[in-house]
Amino acid sequence: MDTFGLLMGGFATALQPTNLLYAVVGCVLGTLVGVLPGVGPAAGTAILIPITVALDPTGAIIMLAAIYYGAMYGGTITSVLINVPGEAASAVTCLDGYQMAKRGRAGPALAVAAIGSFIGGTVATMGLVLLALPLTRFALRFGPPEFFGLMVVGLSLVTGLAGRSLVRALVSAILGLLLAQIGIDPVMGAPRFTFGQMELLDGFGIVPVVMGLFGIGEILMNAEARAVQVFDTKVSSLVLTKQDIKDSAMPVARGTGIGFFLGLIPGVGAIVPTFLSYAVEKKASKTPERFGTGMIEGVAGPETANNAYANAALIPLFTLGIPGSPTTAILMGALMMNGLVPGPGLFKEHPQFVWAVIASFYIGNLILLILNLPFIPVWVAVLKIPYSILLTLVLGFCVVGAYSLSNSVFDIGAMLAFGILGYLFKKLDIPTAPLVLTLVLGPLMERGLRQSLEMSRGDFSIFFSRPLSAMLLAIAALVIVTSTFRALAPVRGADSQI
Amino acid sequence: MTMRRPYQITGIVLLLLAGFVAVESLRLRYYTSLGPGPGFFPFWLSVILGGLAVVMLLQAGLGRPDPMPADFFASRGGYLRMGAVVAAMVATTLVLEPLGFCLTMLAVYLFLLLTLGRQRALVVALVALGGSFGVYHLFVRWLHVPLPRGLLSW
Repeated sequence: MDTFGLLMGGFATALQPTNLLYAVVGCVLGTLVGVLPGVGPAAGTAILIPITVALDPTGAIIMLAAIYYGAMYGGTITSVLINVPGEAASAVTCLDGYQMAKRGRAGPALAVAAIGSFIGGTVATMGLVLLALPLTRFALRFGPPEFFGLMVVGLSLVTGLAGRSLVRALVSAILGLLLAQIGIDPVMGAPRFTFGQMELLDGFGIVPVVMGLFGIGEILMNAEARAVQVFDTKVSSLVLTKQDIKDSAMPVARGTGIGFFLGLIPGVGAIVPTFLSYAVEKKASKTPERFGTGMIEGVAGPETANNAYANAALIPLFTLGIPGSPTTAILMGALMMNGLVPGPGLFKEHPQFVWAVIASFYIGNLILLILNLPFIPVWVAVLKIPYSILLTLVLGFCVVGAYSLSNSVFDIGAMLAFGILGYLFKKLDIPTAPLVLTLVLGPLMERGLRQSLEMSRGDFSIFFSRPLSAMLLAIAALVIVTSTFRALAPVRGADSQI
Repeated sequence: MTMRRPYQITGIVLLLLAGFVAVESLRLRYYTSLGPGPGFFPFWLSVILGGLAVVMLLQAGLGRPDPMPADFFASRGGYLRMGAVVAAMVATTLVLEPLGFCLTMLAVYLFLLLTLGRQRALVVALVALGGSFGVYHLFVRWLHVPLPRGLLSW
């Protein structure tokens, strides 16, 4: 069947009332967690996984994907209204979005962000449809050595997540790989680093780790600083003027392109497209000096880039099995929990599922646009809840989330331990994203390496004698070398924000 | 104040961790007739981690250290609030199964709401009841996600 036929089949499944309901609920819940400052899409998606446990795999992933892009948009609302980005990618939106809100133009800022996000997300999903089959056909030719090469490329890209210190990013990545070693060895079945604990035989689950690092870590930071919510901004009319539309058209178009192409590259991180888009808009503007004072272009471009990136980042995840960000790594973990391994095999073995999920991306983006604008007063009301109450409620959800995945209090303890680690990472400015990515990719890479060496009876030349594998390893080497050189240049900003 | 000392301590901790992992991984089979064994991968990861720890120590000792952020150390109140969150989580881990979700979370919510902020008694009671009994109802009855009932069968 051709792509169009498969997509239509996907729409038939995604438009079933129950799946539609899951997408709506996912968008609302995702936006809600995105609105909560400090929770962010990664922890938000992880926290909400238990809600999807009772659903069938298609419904569960439709809901989680909706939570994912809902959370990406939710971060925008707090950036505009209270100058606090819900997640790092929305940080740049504070610059002009908050200034617009202070000038009584919070409505147009949120409206242009919603419309830009819809356009960016929809175009990126079209890209996923067009690229999915060619990429998977190509990737289906992969044997273990090529798969190992691909995983090395994925891991090498974590060096791109380094901010001010490549060493600290690499430490984080290696700690993730070491954590992935805990449990049953993937080839010979021998227990490793379990110290006689039954709970460690399956290793650490991605959900307690992510909820700990991102959710509990952030809660500890906020408890330490006694975060106080100050919300006194009024939301004006959401209607855009003709001038607003004229000023936003090109930034939305450029943001779509920037977000889409950077989303194809795993490991870039959501911050890069948003800041790049902002820089491009400033460069393209006739009045660059007015950026930072409430220019609608400074909201339209980055917000579009953010959502285009979020949707495009699903392309390497679905087609090659490479998660490009912590949130897509969680989605990958959720897919695996449902017995579905992302990668070329997914399209071959579960076409109905994968095309239904892709179709749901279109529907989800539309739902998000329709829901977000009328729901803004609700999010404003949420922001008025005292932070100590929000923090306590989030903590409660983290407990439910960690416990319910395997009905074990061990996971709550693990989440707390990783929360303390996340807190220390933030204090020491060590990025957490590389740890999450390598925790997911580590076992896959090790399996690829060891299966390849079994094929060649221990001869490492197998990786260089096969053209595709050699090419992938060369790409990885190139990425590492260029990242190392780039790391020598000073970079502003904190690594722990990545 | 600079970040020299925190990074030196981090480097030493990482070096010790690398040493521990290396020793533990050498207890596993390093190589088999078919190729690398279970100890191969962790051993080389520990070597890389050790190398990075040494680089971190050298950078901290010889390079120009970053200034320490003003909020690197929290106030006494900050540490107490953090301690309250950690204590609540530890207590949850210990008593969730014997006591059950509702009672445990009711106690945790009451403790945290009274420790972390000043709210009206009615608000505290409503949030605590909603977060414990309400959430239990939502997950167990509606979403069919099992949560511990405890000795009181709640």
